[in-house]
Amino acid sequence: MERPELNRRRLLATAGGLAVAGSFGFAALGTGADALAAGADTRVRYWNLFSGGDGANMIAMLDAFRKEHPGIAVKDSTLQWGNPFYTKLAMAAAGNRAPELGVMHMGRVAGFSPGRLLDPWDIELLAKYGVRQQDYNPALWNRGVIDGRLYALPLDIHVQLCFYRRDVLKKAGLLGDDGLMIPVTSTDEWFDVLKKARKVQKKGLQTIGLWTNDQNFQWWFFVAFYTQLGGQWFDDARTQVLFDADKATQVLEFFRKHVTDGYVIPGAPTGEQFINGAPFTWEGNWSVPVFSGAKLDYGATPLPPVFGRQATHAESHSFVLPHQSGRGGATNEAAHELAAYVVTHALQWAAGGHIPAYRPTLSTEAYKTLTPQNEYVSAMNHQATEPKVWFAGSTGVLAQDLGPMVVSSTMGSAGPAAVAQRMKKELAKLLASKNPMDGRTAAQGGAVA
Amino acid sequence: MTTVGTTASTARSVRPRSRRPWTPSQIVLTLLGVAVSAVFVAPIAAALFTSLKSEAEAAEIPPHWLPKVWTAQAWKALWSTGNLTNWFVNSLVVSVCVTTVVLVVSALAGYGFARTEFRGKSVLMGMVMSGLMVSPAVLGVPLFTTVQQMGMVDTYWGMILPQCAPAAMVYILYKFFQGVPRELEEAAFIDGAGRWRVFLTIVVPLARPSLAAVGIFTFIASWNNFLWPYMVTNNPDLMTMPNGIATVMNSYGIQWAQLMAGGLMAGLPLIVVFVFFQRQIVAGVAHTGLAGQ
Amino acid sequence: MTTSAQTVLAPARARTAAATATVRRKQGFQHGGWFVAPFLALFVLFVIWPLLRGVYLSLTDANISGEGASFIGLDNYREALHDQLMWDALGHSAYFTLLVVPCITVLAFLLAMLAHHIERGKWLWRLCFFVPFLLPSTVAGNLFQWLFTQGIGMFNHTFGIDTPWLTDKSYAMLAIVIETLWWTVGFSFLLYLAALQGIPDHLYEAAKLDGANAWHRMVHITLPMLRNITGLVVALQVLASLQLFDQAVVMMDFGPGPELSTRSFVQYTLEQGFTSYRVGYASAMSIIFFVIIAVVALARMWLLRNREEGGR
Repeated sequence: MERPELNRRRLLATAGGLAVAGSFGFAALGTGADALAAGADTRVRYWNLFSGGDGANMIAMLDAFRKEHPGIAVKDSTLQWGNPFYTKLAMAAAGNRAPELGVMHMGRVAGFSPGRLLDPWDIELLAKYGVRQQDYNPALWNRGVIDGRLYALPLDIHVQLCFYRRDVLKKAGLLGDDGLMIPVTSTDEWFDVLKKARKVQKKGLQTIGLWTNDQNFQWWFFVAFYTQLGGQWFDDARTQVLFDADKATQVLEFFRKHVTDGYVIPGAPTGEQFINGAPFTWEGNWSVPVFSGAKLDYGATPLPPVFGRQATHAESHSFVLPHQSGRGGATNEAAHELAAYVVTHALQWAAGGHIPAYRPTLSTEAYKTLTPQNEYVSAMNHQATEPKVWFAGSTGVLAQDLGPMVVSSTMGSAGPAAVAQRMKKELAKLLASKNPMDGRTAAQGGAVA
Repeated sequence: MTTVGTTASTARSVRPRSRRPWTPSQIVLTLLGVAVSAVFVAPIAAALFTSLKSEAEAAEIPPHWLPKVWTAQAWKALWSTGNLTNWFVNSLVVSVCVTTVVLVVSALAGYGFARTEFRGKSVLMGMVMSGLMVSPAVLGVPLFTTVQQMGMVDTYWGMILPQCAPAAMVYILYKFFQGVPRELEEAAFIDGAGRWRVFLTIVVPLARPSLAAVGIFTFIASWNNFLWPYMVTNNPDLMTMPNGIATVMNSYGIQWAQLMAGGLMAGLPLIVVFVFFQRQIVAGVAHTGLAGQ
Repeated sequence: MTTSAQTVLAPARARTAAATATVRRKQGFQHGGWFVAPFLALFVLFVIWPLLRGVYLSLTDANISGEGASFIGLDNYREALHDQLMWDALGHSAYFTLLVVPCITVLAFLLAMLAHHIERGKWLWRLCFFVPFLLPSTVAGNLFQWLFTQGIGMFNHTFGIDTPWLTDKSYAMLAIVIETLWWTVGFSFLLYLAALQGIPDHLYEAAKLDGANAWHRMVHITLPMLRNITGLVVALQVLASLQLFDQAVVMMDFGPGPELSTRSFVQYTLEQGFTSYRVGYASAMSIIFFVIIAVVALARMWLLRNREEGGR
C-alpha cells in the first residue's frame, strides 16, 4: 500500500521539478515557441489590424507571397483594431522590440514620431522590388513623406459609403435608368428618399444604419458633412481655430433628425439589419465583401452631397517600418520585399472594397469591372480628411475627444448647438496643447509634415 | 491553518454512513441549489455548445442552445493557427515561474519578519504593509516605465518579476509563522542546528498547507492575470492566454465559435485542477482570505 | 505530553534566550536580513521604486519614449483637477463599486447559506458557484460580450427582450455589473462558506435548547459571527471594484463604452499614458489613484481598530 503512494509522490515531485526547470529555461531563452520553431529562415514579423474580409484577403496575399518566397518566414499577427494596435506598436518601437513591418493609417503617421518610433523606407530597395513614386498619386505619396523621407508606403484609400439595397429602392422608385440610386443634392431630398424607402421596406427593421452609438463612425461622418459645408478647422499657421459652430450645428442636427424621425433604431447592428433588408446603411468600404458574400443586390455611392458639394471621409492604410535600432540586413530587405509585393498585387485587396493606391492596378480591366467598386472609385477625388495636425488620425486624440461629443448629440443626450460649442472649445484646447512626443504645439510645427 | 483543519473535518463529518432522509426542507433547498447552479453554469455551457457549432450557425439570429450540426471545426482551427498553443506555453511558463519565485521569496520573508531580529525590521514591515495598496492597476504607468528602463518590455522576465513581490502573500505566511510554537525551534537550536536548518527541516514542513494555499492562489492569479501582461507585452509570440485572446483577434473577424473554444481552453486547466484538488483549493482561498481578517 | 515538553523546555528556553540574544547582537543583520533580502529586493524594484518614480514623473512632461522629460512642477495635478473626463472616469469606477459591492456581498452570503445547509453534494455546489472565478477576466468578458450582443446573444433571447446592453449608455455599466457578479461572487462565497463552517455547532444547539427558531438563530448567532468576514468581503470588493478595468475594456472592445459611459479610472489613466503617450500626466493620475486607494484601505483599518476597541 505504501509503495505506490510513495512512487506517485516521487513522480509528481519529478514532474513538478521538470516543469519548474523547463519554465525557467524557457523564460531564459525568452523568444517564444514560434520563434524557436521558425529556425534559420529570414523571419519577417508583420503586425496588422485587418480583421473580417480584409483579414482574409491579406492572408491570401501573404500565402501567395510565402509560396513564391520559401526562404522568408512571414509571421503575421492581427491585433485588435484601434487603440490597442497603435498602443502596442508604439510601445514595441519605444522598447526597441518592434516587428519588421507594420500597418498604419496615414493620418496617424505625423503624430507617431517619425524618426523615433518609425524608420524611413529605403527608396532604392523599394524600386528594386517594383515600387516607384511615379506609380502613385503624388498627393497621396507625399502624405507619407516627412522631412524629405518616406515613412509610410500607401496601400489603399478607403472611404465612407452610402450602401443601398437595389431591390428595395427599385420598389420605392428610387433607382435611375442606369440601375444606380438617384442623385440627392439637399437634406430635404435626402429625407424624402428615406421616407419613400421606409414605405416599402420590411417592417421591424430600421431604414438606415448610421452607427449612432459608435464614436468613430459618427466622427468620420461628421468630418465628411462638415467638409461638404466647406467648414474649416484651423488657419494655416495652426494658431487659430476656424471651426464654424453654426455649420457644425447644421451637421449635428442633420444626424439627429435621422433618430428623431425614426429612421434609425439606435444600437441595432447595422450590417445585420442591412443584410436582412434595411434599405440603407452608411459604412466603410470594407463592408463590400461582407455584403457581396451575402449575395445581396446592392450598390454603394459616396456619402450623399446633401449640403451641395461632394465630400466623403477618406483614410489610407500604409506600410511602415517600426523603429528597430539594428534595422538592416536580410530581414529589413525581406520587409521591403513583402510590402512591395502586397502593394503591387493589390487587386485582391481591392476585392475588400478598398481603392488601391498603386495606380497600375486601378487601370487594369479587372479592376474596372469590379462592382460596386467602380461606382464609388470617384470618391478618391473629393476626400474629406482630418486636419493635418499631430493629434489627428484614425482613433487619434482628436477623434477620441470629439467622436463621443458627436454621439451624444446624435443620441439626444445633448443639444446640437451646445455640442458644437463644446467641440470648438475642445479644438482650441487641443491646438494649444503640446505633442507629448516632442513638446511642441501644432503651431510650433509639432511633427507636422 | 485553522480553516484547513475545520474544512477537512467538516467534509468528513458531513458524510455520515447512513444517509439522512429527504426532509421537505432539504428537497426545497436542493431544488433551489440546482436552479441556482444552472444559472451559474449556463454561460459556460452556452460557450461549450457554441464552440461545437459551425461559424455560420454560431452567428444565427435568433440563437439556439444545442448545435444543429455538431462539429469540432472551431477546436481544430485553434490548433491549426497555432497562436493559442504558443500562448498556452507562455502562460504555463509565466505562471510556474511566478509561483516558484513567490513561494521561495515570501516564505523566507514571512519567516524573517516573524522570527528573526534585524535592524529596521518594523520599518520594513510597515513598508511591506503599504505595498498591499499597490497593484499594476494603481501604478501601472510608472511600473511600466521602470520595466522599460530595465529593458524588460516584451520579455518573459518583464512579465514574471513584477508579479513576484506580493506583500499579501508575505503577510499571510508571516501570520502563520508567528503561530508556530517557538519551543519546536528552540529545541533544535539546542541541538546545534542553525537558523537555515531549522527553517528548512522544521518550519517549512509544518507550513506545507499554508504554502500550498499561497502557491495555489498565486498560480490562479498569475494564470488569469491580464492587466500587467497586457501592458508589458506587445509581441504576440510572447503573450499569455488571457492577453492573447483579448488583444489578438482572429484574422477572419470575430468568430464566436473559435473565440468560445479559445476561452474554454484558457479556462479548462484551472477548472480541471479545481475538480481534482477542490478541498485544498477551497481551503487555500479561504485561508488566504481569512488571514486578512 | 505537552506538559512534559513544557517542563523540559522552559529552563532551556530561559538559557537559550540569553544566549541567542548575544548571538543576535553579534550577527547583527545577518540572519533576518538574508531571509528578507530576496523579497525586499523585488519589492523595492517593482513596488517602491515605481511609486517614487511615479511621484517624480508626475512632476514632469515625460512621454512614452522615456527620454527628454522636463520638470513642470504641479502642472499635471492642476490639470487633472480640472479634467472633467478624469472626474467622469472616477465617477464610473465609484458607480460600479456602489453597484457591485452590496450585490456581491448579499449574493455571496445567500449562496453560502444555501450551500451550507444542503446536506448532499456539497462539492457540486461549491464547484458550480466557484467555477466562473477560475476563468481569466478576458474570457469571462468575451463570454458576456457575446451573451449581451443584440441579435446573436443568448441573454436577450432567453428573457425574450431586446435590450441594447452594450450600446446604450444606460445599460452598458449594468451589463458589466452583471458580468462581474457572475464572475467574482464565487470568491466571496467561499470566504462566507468557510466562515459558516467555522461557527461552532454548540452555539446553535444551545440556542435550540432555549427554543430559538431558525430565524432567531440566524439573526442572533450566524450574522454576528459573520461580522468580521463581512467586513473583509466588503473591503476586498471595494478595493477590487475601484480598480475596474479588465472586464470593462474587453466587453467594450477596448473602447470607452457608449458615450464614454464605462470608462473607468484605470482605463483613462492607461489611455493617457499609452495612447496619448502622456506618461507624466498619467503618472499624476496614478498617484491620485494611489492616494484614493490608500485612504480607503486606511479607513478600513481605522474602522477595524475602533471596533476591536469597542468590543473590548
